[in-house]
Amino acid sequence: MKGKEKKKEIYQCLNCGWTSIIREEETPPDHCPNCLCSIHNEDEEGNECGGILEPVGIWVRSEKEWEIVQRCRFCGEMSTTPATEHDNRIKLLSIASKPISSPPFPIERIEEMTRLMGGNTDKGEI
Amino acid sequence: MNRENKKRKYDKKYYRTHPCTDSFTCKVCGWPVVSAGAGTNHRNHCPNCLYSIHLDNKPGDRESECHGRMEPIGVWVRKKGEWAIIHRCVRCGKISSNRVAADDNPMKLTALAMRPFGKKDGLYPGCFFPEGEL
Repeated sequence: MKGKEKKKEIYQCLNCGWTSIIREEETPPDHCPNCLCSIHNEDEEGNECGGILEPVGIWVRSEKEWEIVQRCRFCGEMSTTPATEHDNRIKLLSIASKPISSPPFPIERIEEMTRLMGGNTDKGEI
Repeated sequence: MNRENKKRKYDKKYYRTHPCTDSFTCKVCGWPVVSAGAGTNHRNHCPNCLYSIHLDNKPGDRESECHGRMEPIGVWVRKKGEWAIIHRCVRCGKISSNRVAADDNPMKLTALAMRPFGKKDGLYPGCFFPEGEL
């Protein structure tokens, strides 16, 4: 019985300290399910970085597929990681709604502003 | 002026410290873009469709050989509270971010920010959990 327990691996988040047990059939998560952070192992040129990748945005890739956009606190490089169903949903939605809470222009005058720049005012797909 | 041209040609970080005032036509939507009115010296995306072209490996070096279209995939808020657009190259998948300019299409920007909350045919696209199950 004890031998079986030893085989279990424990995932610990280096940012928030969240621990979870990885079962044998599962692969270790590439980001923390609680704070959605991960560790930046190496940058594009292959240099070691070791900074913490913070979640900054949500990318709606397709239907039923979200990706978390992460940015390294140390070197500023950006990367994406697929969101899974184990992720903290409140944290996911709070990241998605952060830009809406601080709009760079008055939202109530948006149509007027778009018309002023001569742009397309229909609210269709981008 | 010749010295300036020489500098532009050989200094790899020229556009990092110097403004780029060239005007260009958007390769995606055909919008004529001039450098004035952006509120920034480093405009890198079309103010109408928000697309960009993959020219830089690091900001301002013009060294990338990809030249793919960079699709706007989202916005994020910087520390000072200003928005930045996240671009992803359609060809090679590189992700970069750039500050929003003063004359960017506000309708497109808001649509980008609202994308995770959008509803299509009565369903939340991309949302893998039902509405009540938060």
